Amino acid sequence: MSELALPRRAPRFHWLKASRRQPLAVIGATIALTWIVIAVFAPLIAPYGSLAQTFTPAQSPSLHHLFGTDELGRDVLSRVIYGSRVSIPIALLLVALASSIGCVVGAIAGYFRGLVDGALMRAVDLFFAFPPIILAMVVAAVLGRGLQNAALAIVVVAWPSYARVVRGLVLSVGDSEFVQSARLMGTPARRALFRDVLPNVAGPVIVLATLDLANAILLLSGLSFLGLGAQPPQAEWGSMVADGTQYFQWWWMGTFPGLAIFTVVLAFNFLGDSLRDVLDPRTAWRSSEEQA
Amino acid sequence: MTTAAVVVRRRLLPSGGFARFVLRRLVALVFLSLGITFVAFVLTELVPSNAVATNLGEQAAGDPAAVAAFKHHYGLDKPFPVRYAIYLDHLVHGDLGQSTLTHGPVTHDLAQFIPATGELALYSILFASIVGIGFGVIAALRRNRPTDHVLRVASLAGISMPTFWIALVALYVGFFRLGWFPGAERLDPGTNPPPSITGMYTIDALLAGNWGLFVQALHHLILPALVLAAFNVSLLTRFTRSAVLEVIGNDYVRAARAKGLPERTVVLRYIVRGALPSVVTVLGLVFANVLTGAVLVEKIFSWPGIGQYAFQAAVNVDVPAIAGVSLFVAVVYITVNFVVDILYGLIDPRIRIT
Amino acid sequence: MSLLEVEGLRVRLPTTRGLVTVVDGVDYAVEHGEVFGVAGESGSGKTMSMLSLLGLLPDGAVVEGSVRFGEHDLLRMPRRRLREVAGRELAMVFQDPLTSLHPMLSIGRQLTEHVRLHLGLGRRDAERHALASLTDVRIPDPASALRAFPHQFSGGMRQRIAIAIALACRPKLLIADEPTTALDVTVQAGILRLLDRLRRENDLSVVLITHDLGVMSAIADRVSIFYAGKVVEAGSCEAVLSTPRHPYTRALLDALPHPEGLQDKPLVAIAGAPPSPGAIPSGCSFHPRCAYAQESCLHHVPPLVAMGDRLLACPIDPLVER
Repeated sequence: MSELALPRRAPRFHWLKASRRQPLAVIGATIALTWIVIAVFAPLIAPYGSLAQTFTPAQSPSLHHLFGTDELGRDVLSRVIYGSRVSIPIALLLVALASSIGCVVGAIAGYFRGLVDGALMRAVDLFFAFPPIILAMVVAAVLGRGLQNAALAIVVVAWPSYARVVRGLVLSVGDSEFVQSARLMGTPARRALFRDVLPNVAGPVIVLATLDLANAILLLSGLSFLGLGAQPPQAEWGSMVADGTQYFQWWWMGTFPGLAIFTVVLAFNFLGDSLRDVLDPRTAWRSSEEQA
Repeated sequence: MTTAAVVVRRRLLPSGGFARFVLRRLVALVFLSLGITFVAFVLTELVPSNAVATNLGEQAAGDPAAVAAFKHHYGLDKPFPVRYAIYLDHLVHGDLGQSTLTHGPVTHDLAQFIPATGELALYSILFASIVGIGFGVIAALRRNRPTDHVLRVASLAGISMPTFWIALVALYVGFFRLGWFPGAERLDPGTNPPPSITGMYTIDALLAGNWGLFVQALHHLILPALVLAAFNVSLLTRFTRSAVLEVIGNDYVRAARAKGLPERTVVLRYIVRGALPSVVTVLGLVFANVLTGAVLVEKIFSWPGIGQYAFQAAVNVDVPAIAGVSLFVAVVYITVNFVVDILYGLIDPRIRIT
Repeated sequence: MSLLEVEGLRVRLPTTRGLVTVVDGVDYAVEHGEVFGVAGESGSGKTMSMLSLLGLLPDGAVVEGSVRFGEHDLLRMPRRRLREVAGRELAMVFQDPLTSLHPMLSIGRQLTEHVRLHLGLGRRDAERHALASLTDVRIPDPASALRAFPHQFSGGMRQRIAIAIALACRPKLLIADEPTTALDVTVQAGILRLLDRLRRENDLSVVLITHDLGVMSAIADRVSIFYAGKVVEAGSCEAVLSTPRHPYTRALLDALPHPEGLQDKPLVAIAGAPPSPGAIPSGCSFHPRCAYAQESCLHHVPPLVAMGDRLLACPIDPLVER
C-alpha cells in the first residue's frame, strides 16, 4: 500500500460533495447496503428455504425460480440470498479482527522502534513470504477443513499488511513537523498519539480495510470453492460455484452465485478506491483543483 | 565563475553503494529463507498424524526394525533442535520427505508438477504485463476522459471477479458453447508430450521442432492463461496508471516536447520509462496473484500443476507435500521480490549510482 | 521585421468551472538578438502565454490570436510541423532543473537525441556536437558528463545542462521560464551571465520570464509587465523600471528591497492578492488593489496605448512626472 500518501491532517469527509465527485462511491455504498439488508432479512426475502429439496432438479430460470434450481431441486435464488448470511458477516468479522491485530502490532513497532520494531517486522516479512492461498491451505491441512478454519486462515494472512501500513504511518507521523512541534511544546506522548497520530492513521487503515473486505470475500469463497471452507449442504457462494462446475450444462447453478460474489466485492472495491481518491488526490480519477 | 564551486561526481560504474544494496538484500533473503524452512519444519511437526504409518504403509509399520530405521532417518527419536538440523540437512540434499499421497519423494513430485504451473504462469504474466501496462499508459494519457473512466470501472471489475467464476464462464462459453478451446489438460487425450527438457510443453515442442504439438499445447494454454491473467491485467492497469500520472506532469516531459521530439518518443522514452521502476515493484505482487489463481484455475481446467498438487495435499492432509509446496513457493516468491529489487536498481540510475 | 510577433493572444484553460481565461489579449514583439523580459506575479499568465507558443498547453486549452515567428505562423501550424520548429529554432528552459531533466536518461542521451533528429547528425557527430555544447555552458570535464546522469550534478550545473540542451540546435529564440528562481542566489548570477554571453555570441533572442525585477534589470533590453493575463506596461527596461508609470509596476518595484535605496523608504507589500483566473475584476483588473483607482477604472478596461516612451494601460497615468 505504498500508494497511500500521508495527509497533513485527516481530511474532513463531506458526503454530499464527495458523492457528486465520486459516483462510484455512491454506487458501491448502495450495492453494499443492499446486500447487508438482504443478509439481515434473508428469511423474509428468500422465496424458499436454502436447503429445501422440494422442486424438480435442474430447472432453467423461470418466473417460479428466477435463478433456476440446482441438481438436488433447491431454489438457486434462495440459496444465493441465504449465501449472503455467510460471506458478508464473516468477512466483516475477519477484517475487524485482522485490522485490530495488525494495527496494534504496527503501532507497537512504530512507537517503540528499534529492536521491537525489527523483530515484529521480520515476523511480518515471514508472513508476507507465503502467498495467502498457500497459507490458507496449510491452515486447512493442519486444523482440518471447515468455514471456521478458512476464516482463521484469512485472519492469519490479512493482519500483516495492516501492521506494515500502520507502522509506516506511525513512524512518519512521529517524524513529521507537527508532532515534533507538539512534542517540543510539551504535549504528552499519549495525547499526541491520539490527537495527531490516530487521525492520520485512520484514513489509510479505513481504505485498506474496505479493500480488504473485498479480498476477504474473494479468498473465503475461493477456499469454499476448493472445498476447504464451507461444507455442503450449507448455502455458500463459493461452494455453489463449485457445484456449478460439476454440472456444466446447467449454467445458472454457477453463474448466479458467482455474480453475487462479484457484486459484493465490486461494491467494496468501488468504495475503497473512491475513499483512496479522496485521501490521495494526486492520481485521482477526477478533474479539478489542479492548474490555476 | 561559479563553476569552480561545483564538482562532478564521476562514478559511472555500479558503485559500492549499489553493491552494498544488493548484498544487504541478499543477506535478508538468506535469513528469510531460513525463517521459511523453520515454518515449514514446524508445520511437519505440528500435525498429529501418524507419520510412520502414512510413510511406510500399514505393513511396514508393523515391522519394528523398519519403524526404527524410519524414525532414525528422520530423527524422530531426537530432541527438537536436532530434528530441525536434520531437516535442514535433508533439505540441502534435496530430501523433503515422502508424500503420503503419491508415496514418492516430495522433491520428485515438485519437479514433475512445477513446469506445468510455470508454463501457465509464464504466458499469463507475459500477457498481463503487456496488456495491463498498455491499458495503464492509455488511461493515464487520457486522464479523466471517457477511455480513462471506462478503464477504471473495467479494472475494478477485473479485481472483483472471482477467478474460479471467470474460469467457469470462460469454459462454458469457450469450450461448452462455442467449442473453440479444449476444456482440460495440457494436451489432447492420447497425445504424447514432447521429450522433456524444460517440462514446458510449448518450449519443448519448439525445441523438438514439432510445430503441430506447439500449436496444440498453446491452444490448451490460452484459456487458463487468460483467466489467470484477468486479475493481474486489472492490477497492472491501475498501478501503471498512477505511476504514469506521477511522471506525466514532470517538467522533463514538457522539456522533451519543447525539444521537438515526436510524441511517440516522448511517451515511450520519457513517460513510460520514467514510470517503469514503480511498475516493476508490483511484479512480486503479480507473481503472488498468479500462484493464488493457479490453485483455482488448475482445479477447474484439470491442469496437472503445483496448485493441484497443493490442493490434493491440503485435502488429504499430506503434510510433507503441503510443507514442501509452501517451502518451495515461499522461496520462489521471496526470490522474485529480490530480483524485483535488483531490477529496480538497474532501471533507476539514482539507486544504481550514488 | 521582428523575430517574434504576438498579437491578440488569448489563452483559455479548461477547469471544472468551464473555460477560464488566463491570457487575455496580449501583444508584444521580440527583436533579433535582444533579451525581452516578461514580469508579473505568479498566475499572471506569463508562463501560459509562452507554453502556448510551443503547443505545450494542457489538453483542451483554447488559443486565439496570431503568433508569427520568422516565417512560421505558430498557432496555425499542424502539431507535427510545430514540433519540428520547436527545439530547432525555438527552445525553452524551465524553472526547476531538478525536474526538467529525465533522471533515468544520461546527459549524453538528452543532449543528442533532438540534435540527431533535427540536424540529421550521426551518433559520432552528435556526440562531438554535444561536447561542444557542454563546453559552451562551462561544464567541467564534458566528456565524462556525457555519460553521467542528472542526479550527479548540482542544481546550477543542471540548469547549465538544460540550457545546453535547449541551445544544442542553435535556435533563434530561447524562452527561459524563471531560469534562476530555483537556484541559490550565488549561482543565479552565473546563469544570467551565461545567458547574456550566449545570446551575444550566437545572435540569439531570449524571452526571460521572471517575477524578479532585479534579475530583469540585470539583462533585459525591453520588458512587458503582465497583470491578470494582460500587459499593463511595456517599454525599454531602463524606462519602465526606473520611472514606472503603471501603479502596478510601481507597486512591484516598491515591494523589492533596494540595498542602495534610501534608508527611510519603507518596503511596501502590494495590498490584496492577485485575482485568480475566472474571477477577474471588472474594468481595470488592478483597480481593487490600486491606490489611485477612480470611478471610471471600475467600468472601462484600459487599452494598452503609446504614452511617450512606452506602452501603458492606465488612462489615469498618476505617476507621470509632469
